[in-house]
Amino acid sequence: VVPGETALAFYKAKNPTDKPIIGISTYNVIPFEAGQYFNKIQCFCFEEQWLNPQEEVDMPVFFYIDPEFVEDPKMAKVDLITLSYTFFEAKEGQKLPLPGYQ
Amino acid sequence: MSTAMNFSSKSFKPRPPDKGAFPLDHFGECSAFKERFMQCLRDSGYESSACRQRAMAYLECRMERQAGQLMANEPLEKLGFKDLIDEKSEAKPEK
Repeated sequence: VVPGETALAFYKAKNPTDKPIIGISTYNVIPFEAGQYFNKIQCFCFEEQWLNPQEEVDMPVFFYIDPEFVEDPKMAKVDLITLSYTFFEAKEGQKLPLPGYQ
Repeated sequence: MSTAMNFSSKSFKPRPPDKGAFPLDHFGECSAFKERFMQCLRDSGYESSACRQRAMAYLECRMERQAGQLMANEPLEKLGFKDLIDEKSEAKPEK
């Protein structure tokens, strides 16, 4: 990936259960200091995504590395940046609990 | 002075994407474009720059599907593909 050039990457998610799942993801950038240069133009993250039972979907991320990355002396030795996503089930319990609700 | 590993000061703050979220392509309408892009990556040794044409084609597919529901219509020049668009229009002067 060339800093400043937009790039596309794909992840894949599968719902292995027999029930629909609403998932949401969060991401992480390693090394930590490179995270400030990682700019997402569009991705599947931050919003709940619905997956049907057994459904497998491609999850695209469209991003670029800030060109200032090449000028940061702390980044001089960084030639590998790892972007990882954790996709987890959006918990129903996070909504307001109703008294007596089972 | 001991250097304390202060994890709280290194907490990662995720930032939302500039143009929001991609809706999922549940019906795989653009999977063929994705496959062509992935094939290009494999062939080029995973060099992103070599496959920008196919990345652009994938995004174009998204914009065309379902009246832009897979991706909001955005001029490709604004998505970092200006140089590829200029090449295209130079190759097709009659259009």
